[in-house]
Amino acid sequence: YERVGADVTMKCGSMDWDAAVTWTVNGTDIDESHLNGSYLILKNVGLSQSGQYACYEGSSWHLKYQTFLRVGTPPKEPVLMCRSNNYPKGFYCSWHLPTPTYIPNTFNISVVHGTKDMVCEKDATPKNRCHIRYIQLFSTVKYKVTLTVTNPLGKNFTTLTFDEFAIVKPDPPESVVAKPVPNNPRRLEVSWQNPSSWPEPESFPLKFFLRYRPLILDQWQHVELSDGTSHTITDAYAGKEYIIQVAAKDNDIGTWSDWSVAVHATPWTEEPKHLTTEAQITETTSASTSSFMAPPTTKICDKGAVVGSGAVAVCWTAGLVVAAYSVLFI
Amino acid sequence: STGDSWGIFTFLCAALCNLPALPALNCSEELGAGQSIQQTYDLTRYLEHQLRTLAGTYLNYLGPPFNEPDFNPPRLARAERVPSATVDLDLWRGLTDNARLAANYRAYSRLLCYLRVLDGQVGTAELRHRLAHFCASLQGLVLSIGGVMSSLGYPLPAGPAAPPAPPGAPAAPNDFLKKMDDFWLLKELQTWLWRSAKDFNRLKKKVPPAVVTLRLEARGF
Repeated sequence: YERVGADVTMKCGSMDWDAAVTWTVNGTDIDESHLNGSYLILKNVGLSQSGQYACYEGSSWHLKYQTFLRVGTPPKEPVLMCRSNNYPKGFYCSWHLPTPTYIPNTFNISVVHGTKDMVCEKDATPKNRCHIRYIQLFSTVKYKVTLTVTNPLGKNFTTLTFDEFAIVKPDPPESVVAKPVPNNPRRLEVSWQNPSSWPEPESFPLKFFLRYRPLILDQWQHVELSDGTSHTITDAYAGKEYIIQVAAKDNDIGTWSDWSVAVHATPWTEEPKHLTTEAQITETTSASTSSFMAPPTTKICDKGAVVGSGAVAVCWTAGLVVAAYSVLFI
Repeated sequence: STGDSWGIFTFLCAALCNLPALPALNCSEELGAGQSIQQTYDLTRYLEHQLRTLAGTYLNYLGPPFNEPDFNPPRLARAERVPSATVDLDLWRGLTDNARLAANYRAYSRLLCYLRVLDGQVGTAELRHRLAHFCASLQGLVLSIGGVMSSLGYPLPAGPAAPPAPPGAPAAPNDFLKKMDDFWLLKELQTWLWRSAKDFNRLKKKVPPAVVTLRLEARGF
Protein backbone atom coordinates (compact mmCIF):
# COMPACT_ATOMS: atom_id res chain seq x y z
CA TYR A 1 0.00 0.00 0.00
CA GLU A 2 1.34 3.35 -0.93
CA ARG A 3 0.13 6.90 -0.82
CA VAL A 4 -0.82 8.82 -3.90
CA GLY A 5 2.09 11.06 -4.80
CA ALA A 6 4.68 9.05 -2.96
CA ASP A 7 7.91 7.80 -4.52
CA VAL A 8 8.08 4.03 -4.46
CA THR A 9 11.21 1.96 -4.70
CA MET A 10 10.83 -1.78 -5.23
CA LYS A 11 13.65 -4.15 -4.69
CA CYS A 12 13.81 -7.35 -6.59
CA GLY A 13 13.79 -9.59 -3.55
CA SER A 14 17.27 -10.59 -2.56
CA MET A 15 18.88 -9.76 -5.88
CA ASP A 16 21.90 -7.50 -5.87
CA TRP A 17 21.58 -3.96 -7.03
CA ASP A 18 23.58 -4.57 -10.14
CA ALA A 19 21.75 -7.74 -11.18
CA ALA A 20 20.05 -7.87 -14.52
CA VAL A 21 16.29 -8.08 -14.07
CA THR A 22 13.09 -7.36 -15.84
CA TRP A 23 10.09 -5.85 -14.15
CA THR A 24 6.54 -6.28 -15.27
CA VAL A 25 3.31 -4.71 -14.21
CA ASN A 26 0.18 -6.78 -14.78
CA GLY A 27 2.17 -8.90 -17.18
CA THR A 28 3.48 -6.00 -19.27
CA ASP A 29 7.19 -5.27 -19.35
CA ILE A 30 8.32 -2.05 -17.77
CA ASP A 31 10.70 0.19 -19.63
CA GLU A 32 14.30 0.25 -18.35
CA SER A 33 14.15 4.00 -17.78
CA HIS A 34 12.24 3.29 -14.59
CA LEU A 35 15.02 1.15 -13.24
CA ASN A 36 17.86 2.11 -11.01
CA GLY A 37 19.99 -0.99 -11.27
CA SER A 38 17.62 -3.76 -10.27
CA TYR A 39 15.38 -1.45 -8.28
CA LEU A 40 12.16 -0.25 -9.75
CA ILE A 41 11.58 3.43 -9.12
CA LEU A 42 8.09 4.85 -9.37
CA LYS A 43 7.93 8.54 -8.76
CA ASN A 44 4.80 10.34 -7.70
CA VAL A 45 2.61 7.30 -7.96
CA GLY A 46 -0.92 7.71 -9.17
CA LEU A 47 -4.00 5.53 -8.85
CA SER A 48 -3.44 4.08 -12.30
CA GLN A 49 -0.19 2.55 -11.16
CA SER A 50 -1.88 0.09 -8.88
CA GLY A 51 -1.32 -3.44 -10.01
CA GLN A 52 0.60 -6.64 -9.82
CA TYR A 53 4.34 -5.98 -10.05
CA ALA A 54 6.78 -8.82 -10.71
CA CYS A 55 10.50 -9.04 -11.07
CA TYR A 56 12.21 -11.71 -13.15
CA GLU A 57 15.86 -12.61 -13.31
CA GLY A 58 17.26 -11.44 -16.61
CA SER A 59 18.23 -14.56 -18.49
CA SER A 60 16.53 -17.41 -16.66
CA TRP A 61 13.22 -15.60 -16.33
CA HIS A 62 12.86 -16.87 -12.80
CA LEU A 63 10.31 -15.04 -10.77
CA LYS A 64 12.28 -13.42 -7.99
CA TYR A 65 9.74 -11.12 -6.42
CA GLN A 66 6.11 -10.26 -6.71
CA THR A 67 3.83 -7.79 -5.00
CA PHE A 68 0.51 -6.14 -5.49
CA LEU A 69 0.78 -2.40 -5.25
CA ARG A 70 -2.32 -0.57 -4.09
CA VAL A 71 -2.15 3.19 -4.38
CA GLY A 72 -4.49 5.11 -2.13
CA THR A 73 -4.79 7.80 0.46
CA PRO A 74 -5.06 7.79 4.22
CA PRO A 75 -8.62 8.52 5.34
CA LYS A 76 -9.85 12.07 5.73
CA GLU A 77 -12.07 12.92 8.66
CA PRO A 78 -15.22 10.82 8.21
CA VAL A 79 -18.70 12.31 8.09
CA LEU A 80 -20.93 10.97 10.85
CA MET A 81 -24.65 11.47 11.33
CA CYS A 82 -26.93 10.13 14.05
CA ARG A 83 -30.66 10.30 14.03
CA SER A 84 -33.69 8.89 15.76
CA ASN A 85 -36.41 8.23 13.20
CA ASN A 86 -38.05 5.61 15.38
CA TYR A 87 -38.35 7.36 18.74
CA PRO A 88 -38.57 6.05 21.41
CA LYS A 89 -37.08 2.78 20.19
CA GLY A 90 -33.58 4.08 19.62
CA PHE A 91 -31.43 5.75 17.03
CA TYR A 92 -29.07 4.97 14.20
CA CYS A 93 -25.79 6.41 13.07
CA SER A 94 -24.52 6.41 9.53
CA TRP A 95 -21.21 7.50 8.12
CA HIS A 96 -19.14 7.87 5.04
CA LEU A 97 -15.81 9.23 3.90
CA PRO A 98 -15.88 12.59 2.16
CA THR A 99 -13.35 11.40 -0.43
CA PRO A 100 -12.54 7.84 -1.46
CA THR A 101 -9.29 6.27 -0.36
CA TYR A 102 -9.21 3.59 -3.08
CA ILE A 103 -8.01 1.05 -0.55
CA PRO A 104 -9.97 -0.97 2.01
CA ASN A 105 -11.07 0.89 5.16
CA THR A 106 -12.35 -0.42 8.46
CA PHE A 107 -14.77 1.56 10.58
CA ASN A 108 -15.06 1.28 14.30
CA ILE A 109 -17.86 2.98 16.15
CA SER A 110 -18.19 3.49 19.88
CA VAL A 111 -21.12 4.93 21.78
CA VAL A 112 -20.77 6.17 25.33
CA HIS A 113 -23.68 7.29 27.46
CA GLY A 114 -22.34 8.99 30.55
CA THR A 115 -20.13 6.29 31.98
CA LYS A 116 -21.76 3.40 30.14
CA ASP A 117 -20.49 1.92 26.92
CA MET A 118 -23.23 0.91 24.53
CA VAL A 119 -23.07 -1.43 21.59
CA CYS A 120 -24.15 -0.08 18.23
CA GLU A 121 -25.32 -3.04 16.17
CA LYS A 122 -24.12 -2.90 12.62
CA ASP A 123 -26.80 -3.08 9.97
CA ALA A 124 -26.53 -5.53 7.10
CA THR A 125 -27.93 -2.95 4.74
CA PRO A 126 -27.12 -0.31 4.19
CA LYS A 127 -23.50 -0.77 5.17
CA ASN A 128 -21.87 1.99 7.16
CA ARG A 129 -24.80 2.14 9.48
CA CYS A 130 -25.50 0.85 12.97
CA HIS A 131 -28.37 1.15 15.39
CA ILE A 132 -28.85 1.37 19.14
CA ARG A 133 -31.84 0.56 21.27
CA TYR A 134 -32.71 2.89 24.08
CA ILE A 135 -32.71 1.27 27.47
CA GLN A 136 -33.51 4.47 29.29
CA LEU A 137 -35.70 7.28 28.13
CA PHE A 138 -35.69 11.00 28.98
CA SER A 139 -32.02 11.05 29.78
CA THR A 140 -30.21 14.25 30.77
CA VAL A 141 -26.86 12.71 30.01
CA LYS A 142 -25.55 13.20 26.50
CA TYR A 143 -24.56 10.44 24.12
CA LYS A 144 -21.07 10.55 22.68
CA VAL A 145 -20.44 8.68 19.44
CA THR A 146 -16.92 8.25 18.12
CA LEU A 147 -16.21 6.88 14.68
CA THR A 148 -12.68 5.77 13.82
CA VAL A 149 -11.70 4.87 10.31
CA THR A 150 -8.47 2.98 9.67
CA ASN A 151 -6.67 1.83 6.55
CA PRO A 152 -3.13 0.66 5.86
CA LEU A 153 -2.01 4.22 5.24
CA GLY A 154 -3.45 5.94 8.29
CA LYS A 155 -6.41 6.62 10.48
CA ASN A 156 -8.82 9.38 11.36
CA PHE A 157 -11.84 9.89 13.54
CA THR A 158 -14.75 12.14 14.38
CA THR A 159 -17.03 12.54 17.40
CA LEU A 160 -20.63 13.55 17.86
CA THR A 161 -22.15 14.52 21.19
CA PHE A 162 -25.87 14.99 21.53
CA ASP A 163 -28.92 14.86 23.75
CA GLU A 164 -31.56 12.19 23.28
CA PHE A 165 -34.11 14.79 22.16
CA ALA A 166 -31.92 16.67 19.75
CA ILE A 167 -31.59 13.89 17.18
CA VAL A 168 -35.27 13.02 16.86
CA LYS A 169 -36.20 13.43 13.20
CA PRO A 170 -38.93 11.27 11.65
CA ASP A 171 -38.88 9.98 8.09
CA PRO A 172 -41.10 11.91 5.68
CA PRO A 173 -44.81 11.05 5.52
CA GLU A 174 -45.70 8.25 3.13
CA SER A 175 -48.33 7.65 0.49
CA VAL A 176 -49.08 11.31 -0.09
CA VAL A 177 -52.10 11.56 -2.33
CA ALA A 178 -53.70 14.70 -3.70
CA LYS A 179 -57.05 14.60 -5.41
CA PRO A 180 -59.34 17.19 -6.90
CA VAL A 181 -62.71 17.64 -5.24
CA PRO A 182 -65.64 17.26 -7.62
CA ASN A 183 -67.55 20.48 -8.19
CA ASN A 184 -64.96 22.49 -6.33
CA PRO A 185 -62.54 24.24 -8.67
CA ARG A 186 -60.50 25.70 -5.83
CA ARG A 187 -60.07 22.68 -3.67
CA LEU A 188 -57.58 19.87 -3.44
CA GLU A 189 -57.87 17.05 -0.97
CA VAL A 190 -54.51 15.91 0.36
CA SER A 191 -54.01 12.82 2.47
CA TRP A 192 -50.95 10.95 3.71
CA GLN A 193 -49.78 8.39 6.19
CA ASN A 194 -47.42 8.39 9.13
CA PRO A 195 -43.96 7.18 8.15
CA SER A 196 -43.85 3.45 8.69
CA SER A 197 -40.61 3.74 10.66
CA TRP A 198 -42.34 5.72 13.44
CA PRO A 199 -43.31 2.97 15.88
CA GLU A 200 -45.86 4.54 18.23
CA PRO A 201 -47.86 7.37 16.70
CA GLU A 202 -50.57 7.06 19.36
CA SER A 203 -48.23 7.78 22.27
CA PHE A 204 -45.82 9.88 20.24
CA PRO A 205 -48.06 11.77 17.87
CA LEU A 206 -46.66 13.55 14.86
CA LYS A 207 -47.59 16.94 13.58
CA PHE A 208 -47.37 17.85 9.93
CA PHE A 209 -46.38 20.69 7.67
CA LEU A 210 -47.94 20.93 4.26
CA ARG A 211 -46.60 23.11 1.49
CA TYR A 212 -48.13 23.68 -1.90
CA ARG A 213 -47.80 25.96 -4.89
CA PRO A 214 -48.95 26.06 -8.48
CA LEU A 215 -46.18 24.87 -10.79
CA ILE A 216 -46.04 28.25 -12.44
CA LEU A 217 -45.26 30.15 -9.22
CA ASP A 218 -42.19 29.99 -6.99
CA GLN A 219 -43.77 30.92 -3.71
CA TRP A 220 -44.95 28.13 -1.43
CA GLN A 221 -47.94 28.32 0.80
CA HIS A 222 -47.70 26.59 4.15
CA VAL A 223 -50.10 24.97 6.54
CA GLU A 224 -49.14 23.46 9.87
CA LEU A 225 -51.40 20.69 11.11
CA SER A 226 -51.28 19.35 14.61
CA ASP A 227 -53.83 16.65 14.02
CA GLY A 228 -54.90 14.20 11.42
CA THR A 229 -53.39 12.95 8.21
CA SER A 230 -55.44 14.86 5.70
CA HIS A 231 -56.16 18.41 4.72
CA THR A 232 -58.23 20.19 2.14
CA ILE A 233 -56.65 23.10 0.35
CA THR A 234 -59.39 25.62 -0.31
CA ASP A 235 -57.53 28.45 -2.04
CA ALA A 236 -56.08 26.74 -5.05
CA TYR A 237 -56.04 28.67 -8.30
CA ALA A 238 -58.60 27.06 -10.51
CA GLY A 239 -57.27 24.94 -13.32
CA LYS A 240 -53.61 25.20 -12.30
CA GLU A 241 -51.48 22.18 -11.64
CA TYR A 242 -50.16 22.10 -8.11
CA ILE A 243 -47.14 20.56 -6.49
CA ILE A 244 -47.66 19.43 -2.91
CA GLN A 245 -45.35 18.10 -0.21
CA VAL A 246 -45.72 17.13 3.43
CA ALA A 247 -43.23 16.94 6.30
CA ALA A 248 -43.57 15.44 9.77
CA LYS A 249 -42.24 16.21 13.23
CA ASP A 250 -42.75 14.78 16.66
CA ASN A 251 -45.32 16.99 18.35
CA ASP A 252 -42.94 18.16 21.04
CA ILE A 253 -39.29 17.36 20.34
CA GLY A 254 -36.71 17.14 17.62
CA THR A 255 -36.71 18.50 14.09
CA TRP A 256 -38.81 18.33 10.96
CA SER A 257 -38.44 15.45 8.57
CA ASP A 258 -37.32 15.96 5.00
CA TRP A 259 -40.10 16.80 2.56
CA SER A 260 -42.10 13.90 1.24
CA VAL A 261 -42.11 12.89 -2.39
CA ALA A 262 -43.91 15.63 -4.30
CA VAL A 263 -47.34 14.94 -5.69
CA HIS A 264 -49.02 16.81 -8.46
CA ALA A 265 -52.69 17.56 -8.77
CA THR A 266 -54.97 19.94 -10.54
CA PRO A 267 -58.22 21.12 -9.02
CA TRP A 268 -61.46 19.98 -10.58
CA THR A 269 -62.50 22.00 -13.57
CA GLU A 270 -65.72 22.02 -15.48
CA GLU A 271 -65.37 20.49 -18.90
CA PRO A 272 -67.91 20.61 -21.65
CA LYS A 273 -68.53 16.93 -21.15
CA HIS A 274 -68.90 17.38 -17.42
CA LEU A 275 -70.98 20.44 -17.91
CA THR A 276 -73.55 18.54 -19.92
CA THR A 277 -74.26 16.19 -17.07
CA GLU A 278 -73.96 19.00 -14.52
CA ALA A 279 -76.34 21.21 -16.39
CA GLN A 280 -78.82 18.40 -16.76
CA ILE A 281 -78.72 17.67 -13.08
CA THR A 282 -78.70 21.22 -11.81
CA GLU A 283 -80.75 23.07 -14.41
CA THR A 284 -84.34 22.56 -15.24
CA THR A 285 -83.83 23.90 -18.79
CA SER A 286 -81.43 22.18 -21.14
CA ALA A 287 -80.73 25.03 -23.56
CA SER A 288 -77.15 25.49 -24.91
CA THR A 289 -75.56 22.85 -22.73
CA SER A 290 -73.16 21.81 -25.47
CA SER A 291 -71.49 25.21 -26.04
CA PHE A 292 -68.29 26.59 -24.45
CA MET A 293 -67.55 27.23 -20.82
CA ALA A 294 -68.70 30.80 -20.46
CA PRO A 295 -72.30 30.78 -21.65
CA PRO A 296 -73.49 27.80 -19.57
CA THR A 297 -71.86 29.09 -16.40
CA THR A 298 -73.26 32.55 -16.76
CA LYS A 299 -76.51 30.92 -17.57
CA ILE A 300 -76.44 29.11 -14.24
CA CYS A 301 -75.79 32.44 -12.58
CA ASP A 302 -78.57 34.15 -14.51
CA LYS A 303 -80.96 31.44 -13.66
CA GLY A 304 -80.42 32.26 -10.07
CA ALA A 305 -80.53 29.67 -7.35
CA VAL A 306 -79.35 26.28 -8.49
CA VAL A 307 -78.18 24.44 -5.45
CA GLY A 308 -79.87 26.61 -2.87
CA SER A 309 -77.33 28.43 -0.77
CA GLY A 310 -74.58 27.05 -2.93
CA ALA A 311 -75.68 29.26 -5.78
CA VAL A 312 -73.61 32.22 -4.74
CA ALA A 313 -70.59 30.01 -4.40
CA VAL A 314 -71.24 28.49 -7.81
CA CYS A 315 -71.56 31.94 -9.34
CA TRP A 316 -68.40 33.11 -7.74
CA THR A 317 -66.39 30.05 -8.60
CA ALA A 318 -67.80 30.07 -12.10
CA GLY A 319 -66.74 33.68 -12.47
CA LEU A 320 -63.28 32.73 -11.30
CA VAL A 321 -63.09 29.91 -13.81
CA VAL A 322 -64.04 32.35 -16.51
CA ALA A 323 -61.41 34.78 -15.28
CA ALA A 324 -58.79 32.06 -15.14
CA TYR A 325 -59.53 30.88 -18.64
CA SER A 326 -59.57 34.41 -19.96
CA VAL A 327 -56.14 34.93 -18.44
CA LEU A 328 -54.98 31.85 -20.32
CA PHE A 329 -56.29 33.21 -23.56
CA ILE A 330 -54.60 36.61 -23.18
CA SER B 1 -22.03 30.58 60.08
CA THR B 2 -22.83 27.69 57.78
CA GLY B 3 -25.01 26.02 60.40
CA ASP B 4 -27.26 29.05 60.59
CA SER B 5 -27.56 29.45 56.85
CA TRP B 6 -28.35 25.77 56.46
CA GLY B 7 -31.08 26.09 59.03
CA ILE B 8 -32.53 29.05 57.20
CA PHE B 9 -32.36 27.09 53.95
CA THR B 10 -34.34 24.16 55.31
CA PHE B 11 -36.85 26.43 56.99
CA LEU B 12 -37.32 28.42 53.81
CA CYS B 13 -37.91 25.30 51.81
CA ALA B 14 -40.30 23.80 54.31
CA ALA B 15 -42.33 26.99 54.27
CA LEU B 16 -42.31 27.45 50.53
CA CYS B 17 -42.90 23.81 49.80
CA ASN B 18 -46.17 23.58 51.61
CA LEU B 19 -47.78 26.02 49.23
CA PRO B 20 -48.45 23.68 46.26
CA ALA B 21 -50.10 21.08 48.46
CA LEU B 22 -53.53 22.70 48.08
CA PRO B 23 -55.72 20.38 46.05
CA ALA B 24 -57.57 21.98 43.16
CA LEU B 25 -60.84 20.11 43.49
CA ASN B 26 -63.10 22.97 42.49
CA CYS B 27 -61.42 23.48 39.15
CA SER B 28 -61.42 19.83 38.18
CA GLU B 29 -65.05 19.27 38.97
CA GLU B 30 -66.07 21.63 36.23
CA LEU B 31 -63.76 20.27 33.56
CA GLY B 32 -63.84 16.73 32.29
CA ALA B 33 -60.70 14.76 33.02
CA GLY B 34 -59.98 14.69 29.30
CA GLN B 35 -60.04 18.46 29.10
CA SER B 36 -57.84 18.82 32.18
CA ILE B 37 -55.30 16.48 30.65
CA GLN B 38 -55.27 18.57 27.52
CA GLN B 39 -54.81 21.72 29.57
CA THR B 40 -52.03 20.15 31.59
CA TYR B 41 -50.36 19.08 28.37
CA ASP B 42 -50.65 22.60 27.01
CA LEU B 43 -49.17 23.94 30.25
CA THR B 44 -46.11 21.71 29.94
CA ARG B 45 -45.54 23.00 26.42
CA TYR B 46 -45.90 26.60 27.59
CA LEU B 47 -43.51 26.02 30.47
CA GLU B 48 -40.99 24.32 28.21
CA HIS B 49 -41.03 27.35 26.00
CA GLN B 50 -40.67 29.69 28.97
CA LEU B 51 -37.85 27.64 30.36
CA ARG B 52 -35.82 27.97 27.22
CA THR B 53 -35.62 31.73 27.68
CA LEU B 54 -35.17 31.48 31.43
CA ALA B 55 -32.42 28.87 31.19
CA GLY B 56 -30.58 30.90 28.56
CA THR B 57 -30.61 33.97 30.75
CA TYR B 58 -29.70 32.06 33.87
CA LEU B 59 -26.82 30.14 32.33
CA ASN B 60 -25.40 33.39 30.98
CA TYR B 61 -25.65 34.76 34.48
CA LEU B 62 -23.69 31.75 35.74
CA GLY B 63 -21.12 32.41 33.06
CA PRO B 64 -18.79 29.99 31.29
CA PRO B 65 -18.58 27.06 31.05
CA PHE B 66 -22.25 26.70 32.05
CA ASN B 67 -23.51 28.74 29.14
CA GLU B 68 -21.49 26.87 26.54
CA PRO B 69 -23.67 24.71 24.30
CA ASP B 70 -21.41 21.67 24.43
CA PHE B 71 -20.90 21.78 28.19
CA ASN B 72 -21.25 18.17 29.17
CA PRO B 73 -20.18 17.62 32.79
CA PRO B 74 -20.33 14.29 34.55
CA ARG B 75 -23.23 13.95 36.89
CA LEU B 76 -22.04 14.27 40.44
CA ALA B 77 -23.57 12.30 43.26
CA ARG B 78 -24.96 15.47 44.83
CA ALA B 79 -27.07 16.02 41.70
CA GLU B 80 -29.01 12.88 42.58
CA ARG B 81 -31.19 14.89 44.94
CA VAL B 82 -32.95 16.58 42.02
CA PRO B 83 -35.76 14.35 40.72
CA SER B 84 -34.69 12.87 37.39
CA ALA B 85 -37.02 12.23 34.48
CA THR B 86 -34.81 9.39 33.27
CA VAL B 87 -36.63 6.09 33.41
CA ASP B 88 -36.27 2.59 32.04
CA LEU B 89 -38.15 2.46 28.72
CA ASP B 90 -40.23 -0.63 29.44
CA LEU B 91 -40.98 0.57 32.93
CA TRP B 92 -42.18 3.90 31.57
CA ARG B 93 -44.43 2.20 29.06
CA GLY B 94 -45.97 0.05 31.76
CA LEU B 95 -46.72 2.80 34.25
CA THR B 96 -50.31 2.90 35.46
CA ASP B 97 -52.12 6.20 34.99
CA ASN B 98 -51.93 6.79 38.71
CA ALA B 99 -48.20 6.12 38.88
CA ARG B 100 -47.57 8.24 35.82
CA LEU B 101 -49.46 11.21 37.22
CA ALA B 102 -47.97 10.79 40.69
CA ALA B 103 -44.43 10.76 39.32
CA ASN B 104 -45.10 14.06 37.55
CA TYR B 105 -46.78 15.55 40.58
CA ARG B 106 -43.95 14.64 42.92
CA ALA B 107 -41.24 15.74 40.54
CA TYR B 108 -42.66 19.18 39.85
CA SER B 109 -43.47 19.79 43.49
CA ARG B 110 -39.86 19.20 44.38
CA LEU B 111 -38.47 21.07 41.39
CA LEU B 112 -40.68 24.02 42.29
CA CYS B 113 -39.26 23.94 45.75
CA TYR B 114 -35.69 24.05 44.49
CA LEU B 115 -36.52 26.83 42.10
CA ARG B 116 -38.05 28.94 44.81
CA VAL B 117 -34.87 28.67 46.83
CA LEU B 118 -32.96 29.73 43.75
CA ASP B 119 -35.24 32.69 43.35
CA GLY B 120 -34.29 33.91 46.79
CA GLN B 121 -30.59 33.80 46.06
CA VAL B 122 -30.33 35.11 42.57
CA GLY B 123 -28.55 38.39 41.82
CA THR B 124 -30.20 40.44 39.10
CA ALA B 125 -33.68 41.92 39.17
CA GLU B 126 -34.43 40.63 35.68
CA LEU B 127 -33.63 37.08 36.69
CA ARG B 128 -35.67 37.36 39.86
CA HIS B 129 -38.60 38.58 37.82
CA ARG B 130 -38.30 35.76 35.29
CA LEU B 131 -37.86 33.15 37.97
CA ALA B 132 -40.85 34.40 39.90
CA HIS B 133 -42.98 34.26 36.77
CA PHE B 134 -41.76 30.78 35.97
CA CYS B 135 -42.39 29.55 39.50
CA ALA B 136 -45.94 30.86 39.33
CA SER B 137 -46.53 28.97 36.08
CA LEU B 138 -44.91 25.86 37.51
CA GLN B 139 -47.16 26.02 40.52
CA GLY B 140 -50.06 26.17 38.09
CA LEU B 141 -48.80 22.97 36.54
CA VAL B 142 -48.59 21.20 39.87
CA LEU B 143 -52.13 22.27 40.67
CA SER B 144 -53.29 21.18 37.24
CA ILE B 145 -51.78 17.73 37.66
CA GLY B 146 -53.35 17.53 41.10
CA GLY B 147 -56.66 18.42 39.51
CA VAL B 148 -56.39 15.64 36.96
CA MET B 149 -55.55 13.13 39.67
CA SER B 150 -58.50 14.19 41.79
CA SER B 151 -60.91 14.07 38.87
CA LEU B 152 -59.77 10.55 38.09
CA GLY B 153 -60.18 9.57 41.70
CA TYR B 154 -56.52 9.15 42.53
CA PRO B 155 -55.16 10.31 45.88
CA LEU B 156 -52.63 13.10 45.76
CA PRO B 157 -49.12 11.96 46.71
CA ALA B 158 -48.30 12.85 50.30
CA GLY B 159 -47.09 16.48 50.39
CA PRO B 160 -44.22 17.71 48.26
CA ALA B 161 -41.89 15.85 50.60
CA ALA B 162 -39.68 17.16 53.34
CA PRO B 163 -37.18 19.86 52.51
CA PRO B 164 -35.13 18.59 49.58
CA ALA B 165 -32.01 17.85 51.59
CA PRO B 166 -31.74 16.32 55.02
CA PRO B 167 -30.23 18.84 57.42
CA GLY B 168 -27.04 16.81 57.64
CA ALA B 169 -26.20 17.06 53.93
CA PRO B 170 -23.86 19.88 52.99
CA ALA B 171 -24.97 22.88 51.07
CA ALA B 172 -22.71 23.59 48.11
CA PRO B 173 -19.29 24.09 49.71
CA ASN B 174 -18.15 26.41 47.00
CA ASP B 175 -19.38 28.73 44.31
CA PHE B 176 -18.61 26.39 41.41
CA LEU B 177 -20.46 23.43 42.88
CA LYS B 178 -23.40 25.67 43.66
CA LYS B 179 -23.48 26.65 40.00
CA MET B 180 -23.30 22.98 39.02
CA ASP B 181 -26.34 22.32 41.21
CA ASP B 182 -28.20 25.09 39.40
CA PHE B 183 -27.11 23.73 36.01
CA TRP B 184 -28.45 20.25 36.75
CA LEU B 185 -31.65 21.63 38.22
CA LEU B 186 -32.41 23.45 34.98
CA LYS B 187 -31.44 20.45 32.88
CA GLU B 188 -33.66 18.07 34.82
CA LEU B 189 -36.49 20.56 34.72
CA GLN B 190 -36.21 20.81 30.96
CA THR B 191 -36.11 17.04 30.57
CA TRP B 192 -39.10 16.62 32.86
CA LEU B 193 -41.12 19.03 30.71
CA TRP B 194 -40.24 17.02 27.60
CA ARG B 195 -41.17 13.83 29.38
CA SER B 196 -44.42 15.25 30.69
CA ALA B 197 -45.55 16.11 27.18
CA LYS B 198 -45.18 12.41 26.38
CA ASP B 199 -46.76 11.31 29.66
CA PHE B 200 -49.79 13.44 29.01
CA ASN B 201 -50.05 12.28 25.41
CA ARG B 202 -50.40 8.75 26.71
CA LEU B 203 -52.90 9.81 29.30
CA LYS B 204 -54.95 11.66 26.70
CA LYS B 205 -55.47 8.41 24.83
CA LYS B 206 -56.17 6.38 27.89
CA VAL B 207 -58.58 8.55 29.86
CA PRO B 208 -61.54 6.24 30.41
CA PRO B 209 -64.35 7.37 28.08
CA ALA B 210 -66.85 6.86 30.89
CA VAL B 211 -65.37 9.76 32.81
CA VAL B 212 -65.52 12.05 29.80
CA THR B 213 -69.09 11.17 28.81
CA LEU B 214 -70.22 11.63 32.39
CA ARG B 215 -68.98 15.18 32.26
CA LEU B 216 -70.52 15.77 28.87
CA GLU B 217 -73.91 14.51 30.03
CA ALA B 218 -73.74 16.76 33.02
CA ARG B 219 -73.30 19.68 30.68
CA GLY B 220 -76.30 18.69 28.64
CA PHE B 221 -74.53 17.64 25.43
